[in-house]
Amino acid sequence: MARIECNAFISQVIDRLKPGLLIAGIPVVVAVALLGPTVGCRSRATYVAAGKHLDFNQDVQPILAAHCFTCHGPDPEMRKGGLRLDLEESAFKKRPGHPDAIVPGYPDKSELIKRIESRDSHRLMPQSSQGEAKPMKPEEIAILREWVKEGAVYRPHWAFDKPERASLPAAETQDPWVKNPIDAFVLARMKQEGLHPSPEADKTTLIRRVTLDLTGLLPTPAEVKAFVNDKSPQAYEHLVDGLLARPSYGEHRARYWLDYARYADTYGLHYDNTRHIWPYRDYVIRSFNSNKPFDQFAMEQIAGDLMPAKSLDPLIASGYVRLGLSSNEGGTIPEELRANIARERTEAFGATFMGLTVGCAVCHDHKYDPTTQKDFYALTAFFNNIEEEPFNRDRPVWAPVLRIPKAQNQDAYNKVFARRSELQNQLNDLHAQQKALVEKWLGSRQNVPQAVAVDKLMLRLRLDEDGGDVLKNSAPHAQTATFPVGKSKPEWGETTWLWPDFRMNSSTRIMLGQTGDYESNQAFSTGGWVMLRSAPNYPLDQSGTLISKMDTTQHDRGWDLALEHGKIAVDLVNEEPEIKDPPVEVAGDGKPMKEKFSYPAPAELSAADLSPDKAGSPKKEAKKKDEKKKDDKPKPVVAKDTTPRLAIKVLTLDTMPVDGHWKHVFFTYDGSGKASGVKVYVNGVQAATRVVVDTLGKQSLRTQAPMQLGWRYPEATPAKETRYQDVRLYERALAPDEVKRLPYEDYVAEIVSKPESQWSEDQWHVVSQYYFTNLDSTDKALRSQMEQLDAQLDKLSEGGPLTLVSWERPAIAYADVLTRGVYTARMERVEANTPHYLPPLPAGMAHNRLALAKWTVSPENPLTARVTVNRMWNEMFGTGLVETTEDFGIMGQRPSHPKLLDWLAVEFRDSGWNMKHMYKLMAMSATYRQSAKATHDQLLKDPRNLLLAHGPRFRMDAEMLRDVALQSSGLLVNKIGGPSVKPYQPPGLWEQISYPTADTVHYAQESGEALYRRSMYSYWKRMAILPDMDSFDAPMRDAVCTRRQRTDTPLQALVTMNDVQWVEAARALAERVIKQGGQEPEQRIKLMGDILLAHDPPPQMAQVLDNSLAQMEKHYKADPKAAHALVEEGEKKPDSSIPEPELAAWTMVASEMLNLDETITK
Amino acid sequence: MKQHPLCTDTEHAENVLELPIPAGLKQEWMALENRRRFLGRAGKVLGWAAMASLMGNRGASGDAHAADMPGAQGPPSPAELKLPHFAPKAKRAIYLFMSGAPPQIDLWDYKPNLAALYDKDLPDSVRGGQQLTGMTAGQARFPIAPSHWAFKRYGKTGTWVSDLLQNTGKLVDDLTIIKTLNTDAINHEPAIMLMNTGNMNPGKPCLGSWLSYGLGSMNDNLPTFMVLQTKVNPKENNQPVSSRLWSSGFLSSEYAGVGLRSGGDPVLFLTDPNGVDREVRRKMLDAVEQINRQTYEELGDPETNARIAQYEMAYRMQASVPELADLSKEPQSTWDLYGEDAKEPGSFAYNCLMARRMAERGVRFTQVYKRGWDVHTNVTGTLPILCQEVDRACYALVTDLKQRGLLDDTLVVWGGEFGRTVYSQGGLTADNYGRDHHPRCFTGWMAGGGARPGITYGETDEYSYNVAKDPVTVRDYNATILHCLGIDHNKLIYRSQGLDQKLTGPVPANVVQGLLA
Repeated sequence: MARIECNAFISQVIDRLKPGLLIAGIPVVVAVALLGPTVGCRSRATYVAAGKHLDFNQDVQPILAAHCFTCHGPDPEMRKGGLRLDLEESAFKKRPGHPDAIVPGYPDKSELIKRIESRDSHRLMPQSSQGEAKPMKPEEIAILREWVKEGAVYRPHWAFDKPERASLPAAETQDPWVKNPIDAFVLARMKQEGLHPSPEADKTTLIRRVTLDLTGLLPTPAEVKAFVNDKSPQAYEHLVDGLLARPSYGEHRARYWLDYARYADTYGLHYDNTRHIWPYRDYVIRSFNSNKPFDQFAMEQIAGDLMPAKSLDPLIASGYVRLGLSSNEGGTIPEELRANIARERTEAFGATFMGLTVGCAVCHDHKYDPTTQKDFYALTAFFNNIEEEPFNRDRPVWAPVLRIPKAQNQDAYNKVFARRSELQNQLNDLHAQQKALVEKWLGSRQNVPQAVAVDKLMLRLRLDEDGGDVLKNSAPHAQTATFPVGKSKPEWGETTWLWPDFRMNSSTRIMLGQTGDYESNQAFSTGGWVMLRSAPNYPLDQSGTLISKMDTTQHDRGWDLALEHGKIAVDLVNEEPEIKDPPVEVAGDGKPMKEKFSYPAPAELSAADLSPDKAGSPKKEAKKKDEKKKDDKPKPVVAKDTTPRLAIKVLTLDTMPVDGHWKHVFFTYDGSGKASGVKVYVNGVQAATRVVVDTLGKQSLRTQAPMQLGWRYPEATPAKETRYQDVRLYERALAPDEVKRLPYEDYVAEIVSKPESQWSEDQWHVVSQYYFTNLDSTDKALRSQMEQLDAQLDKLSEGGPLTLVSWERPAIAYADVLTRGVYTARMERVEANTPHYLPPLPAGMAHNRLALAKWTVSPENPLTARVTVNRMWNEMFGTGLVETTEDFGIMGQRPSHPKLLDWLAVEFRDSGWNMKHMYKLMAMSATYRQSAKATHDQLLKDPRNLLLAHGPRFRMDAEMLRDVALQSSGLLVNKIGGPSVKPYQPPGLWEQISYPTADTVHYAQESGEALYRRSMYSYWKRMAILPDMDSFDAPMRDAVCTRRQRTDTPLQALVTMNDVQWVEAARALAERVIKQGGQEPEQRIKLMGDILLAHDPPPQMAQVLDNSLAQMEKHYKADPKAAHALVEEGEKKPDSSIPEPELAAWTMVASEMLNLDETITK
Repeated sequence: MKQHPLCTDTEHAENVLELPIPAGLKQEWMALENRRRFLGRAGKVLGWAAMASLMGNRGASGDAHAADMPGAQGPPSPAELKLPHFAPKAKRAIYLFMSGAPPQIDLWDYKPNLAALYDKDLPDSVRGGQQLTGMTAGQARFPIAPSHWAFKRYGKTGTWVSDLLQNTGKLVDDLTIIKTLNTDAINHEPAIMLMNTGNMNPGKPCLGSWLSYGLGSMNDNLPTFMVLQTKVNPKENNQPVSSRLWSSGFLSSEYAGVGLRSGGDPVLFLTDPNGVDREVRRKMLDAVEQINRQTYEELGDPETNARIAQYEMAYRMQASVPELADLSKEPQSTWDLYGEDAKEPGSFAYNCLMARRMAERGVRFTQVYKRGWDVHTNVTGTLPILCQEVDRACYALVTDLKQRGLLDDTLVVWGGEFGRTVYSQGGLTADNYGRDHHPRCFTGWMAGGGARPGITYGETDEYSYNVAKDPVTVRDYNATILHCLGIDHNKLIYRSQGLDQKLTGPVPANVVQGLLA
């Protein structure tokens, strides 16, 4: 790309010069001079001219990718003429009826070359998708021609080859300029281009640069002085070591990482409420400060919940996975949201750890990279297998969630936690041996699973058809073998339970005819696996019919299995009045409904934990009115229905939580006509019930209404969009022992009756789950020990803050390949896996996030180390060795220094993924220490300094700018971590955009300390980030950002001139220099320079400031009111010992200093 | 990283002044270079600020005379951008975004036959296998709720318009009404994003950013793309509008929309601190500029020059934005037209008036957000309030533009993110009902530059549920809007993540010829 733009530039320059082409030759000289420098430009012209061999990766592939791959690349959908040019074997493949695209060595015989050189606009390639010819540039054509001539050699894409430690360029290592291997590579590259390194920056520049780069803060004047006076050869190294040891180092590094991890304080969509995950932020700071090896750091974030741990940190780290957007918008369709969430996580993982734009394969095979659509969805599967609901109920936390112990309990907690982790690990190890253990068990002929007798089994809907519109009744005594599905189709295979599942749609009707038409003296049993719809607007205590044969038009004659506010109800009805007397509430009836929070969550979250944060200044009027309105609604007046109530109604005491889990719900009836003859079971265990009505006696239940799933006849009280599996009806009352076996054992018996070789993966899963849950004594023992520890952990963490974490589901991690990325267009179920063109997952491991984490940092992985050191480089030097830090794929930039990049990657890995080591290496290099001042020669040959012939200089990031303003003025509060704070923000910003009932509708600006913390602790609302941060290109953190933009807009100038934070900082800085600088203006100006620039202002600058001071003093002495107004800006009171006009004048001078290009530039 | 096509030359920000070339040529180079720096590395800026002004009175580049040099022509000319791709009908656009989704059946899509079907079930065949929102998916019935309001015919075209829009109705002969807009999204957040950015997921540039990027600025001292929020009315159901809707996505953030606020500073941080008057600010800036110039001389970093320009531009904005927001010179006829509401900052009428003022001052794209249209319940209670807020103001804006001769080259677009269901959400009574989200058809209108006046485009079925004829997808709609501004949507591209990205996305889109004048 650089090359293409470069040439475009030259032609533009020449075009523009045309009117000025008075002096022939000169512009040409300029143009030629310009040709040399940039990394891209060189090779094209010079290689071809000099007849050197082309480098496929550097020279050829970018041209092919830019012009050819859209139609002749990896995506089969877009491929034209059956020609694929990104792979060697397909490029040379004979295509019947087509001339050979490439004949190695013979450009004139190669159709590829003929077409790109064609004069016939119909034949000319490339063409746009609209069929418009878009000729390549002559230089590009020349390269391709040369490449074919040289034999059209293909090489694998550079970034997918494992990096090898390049040997140092021998000559350069001897050069006195070279301080470490980085310099040798950089120097060698410079020499190629005839460039020379710059001298070392002076000490003041150096200390300011390195202190800002390593801590995000300025060096103090005392530090500068000490460093300047330290004449020892190790002075600089000591400085660097000292900086790396500061807590502010970890904060600053974390600040970058939070962009890479898309950290924010709200969940980003719709209400955009607060989400509690700041402990993750503090974990990142801790990790950098303790110099945690990067492999561990990465693994903890990807799969901390699956790793053995001695402290909570890995679990907190696993919150990384859940940092993305989330929603609870009213109409949200859970499957869509789930697909989007998995996709977001995958894209984030791809960008941060792989440096690839995998998201391009959401809809189709990647157009340039070899990432196929299947690769992409296989990767999403890793992130699709977490114990969570897709929507957040507009709460600050939603499962899985962790409670962090308060500091005083930390040690005790960690001890218990480490023990628990050990047990968990043993359990994991045990489960890893599932195949062997299951085989051993089955071989032993002990505890053979028993099927439930099929005696009088009238209906069995397995619902495993996985498509189609006919349901099979597999019961041996089936009256009807098949049932057609009505017009509104069900959804098949959205998730997997015993097998890919079945879900009713909102109007799906499953009519089961006259099955189940019984008299009250007939015993029968029915039920099956159900998963209730769990979605926004679906209450947690749902009501609705699961299975029925009941006619609501005939006083509810018939029977049903239903939910009433989450309690399971069984109704056997002869007749009911339309409006029943309210059931008598039994004292102590039922337990409070609890959502299930599996460990690591605390057993129970309080209402306070779950309720959204309070908005700043709540306006209650609107709500009150609404409530009032509700009350005003006229109540329908219905004539008293005198129908007697002849029925049995039994209700469970406990409510069944709607938590996104499958439950086996079943009841048996003995034909006694009495409520005592009804037993209700959940997951095979009899549930405690109470009798609401018991008046049926011998009255008939029979009705012409059909038996149905999900509704009562004709269309009443649906259980909304429930999933079902294995629904059964027996014409007898099953014994408790039989019901116990129904959920699993019956199916396991069926599976094991076949040879193992015929079991599917899903069946293996069911059998081993059954084995571990019921038969393995080690499993049982471990679990019971863990339960005890859980209770202790709960106790020890009482009152602590909550944070979102990951927690793997004990299921196989699947995803569906979605056509065009549409969530309903499921094409193929795939198991979690890594992209096919990269090394495979570690052998013998379950395909879960832990395997992915290990894979990410395995020595075979070609990307992680490269991508990470490149980002470090980008942080320090302002541009990555690969400029596209987020894209190491075919379309990404080629590295400017490939050997250096590989050397650094290997060094990083071999150093034990030592991050401080790498930052130190970069900071210690002569390359980094160069003066930023560029020579004419350098500017001409390499204006963007990609070859690093002078030191880095660029505008600081948003957070650094504000931090530096606070620090220089002495306002900065140094305190690490804790909940995010709300500094100054102009009023009204949130109200303008927020949902009125969001907890972020009002910004409650804090006061005191909170105003002066480092910017990384500022509350990050995704829908409206702090405006000063926004102005300076801070990202919304909707998505991963691995390099920020660096724009200069007038809005930025308005911030640093007028934002109260900056005005207050200017005043505080003025106070500081007035008090500490001395009596003379020169002394004070000098101190200001020392503070902000790390050096005395040079005379010219001092002169300007001095003049300005005189003007300001004059102005404010003449207008003391204005002076008063100015110094009163900000919350902190001005120092009353300083006369206001003086302070005001100095405030303006300080503001001038804070607004200098040099101040805001690193 | 995110450069304008014109900015490609920034890869070579060499210091031309140092070149060993003759003085005459050097001057020409300087003129070119000044320009290039602002547009390039130095000036990833000022995309929305004309350069000419910067090189005028106060020569920010340090070469004030350079402006007089041959070749120095100020801002990037559209010719250099190869834009517009063809003669534009509209130079600028105003987008009145009705966030929350107005019910087309109650406003525009006249279905008199529905009255007879009151409380009848919507036939399954009409709904098909449509995936419904979580809000009505569980409803046992889908009873038809005919519109509560009468419709009348307006204009020479005799177009039917609801009694709720009696003022807008008077415009019909100037409007291009599209009844067959349809979208892929069924919930607000993704749907609004799709309308505004062409994609349901965050991260893509919005229409305004594309226009800023493609067409650049038309003025010296105001942003190219401005965003106006209408004050929230608590009686309405206000869906949020995130700042990502006017973000520049992968385009440089200089193309993001700049909010013009009704309270506090009209542009954030515009006002000087207490105790700092214009004279002090000028002096302060002079000092900063002098020192920055010294820095430039020492280090030669073009970025430093950009900084000088940036501060000058800020200074100009401090004067131009208050002038924009100062309505004291508006004649009485303005208030007669827009109504007294327009005097209340942040009202929709006020925003419409501001949109007109910005159009006059050369703002390229103005997006006005009006929230509150999410009428899931109590349609008869809420809709009149909403319409009262927008009806007269829309009429006033279009009329005002027309009277001032601005309508010919200003495109006005009105509409939401989807439609609403013909069936009632929740209980249906004789005098009230609710309407759920409906992506399959909804109504919007355009007026002015490029749009064919006095037509109604497309037909829906008798239930206002499905498109019967001439569907217009969001992609097509956006392609058509770009077309009116002289842009071929297939050519306004930006390479990101290795793909040629465009507003209309990868799925083919078509300019709807039937909508064009």
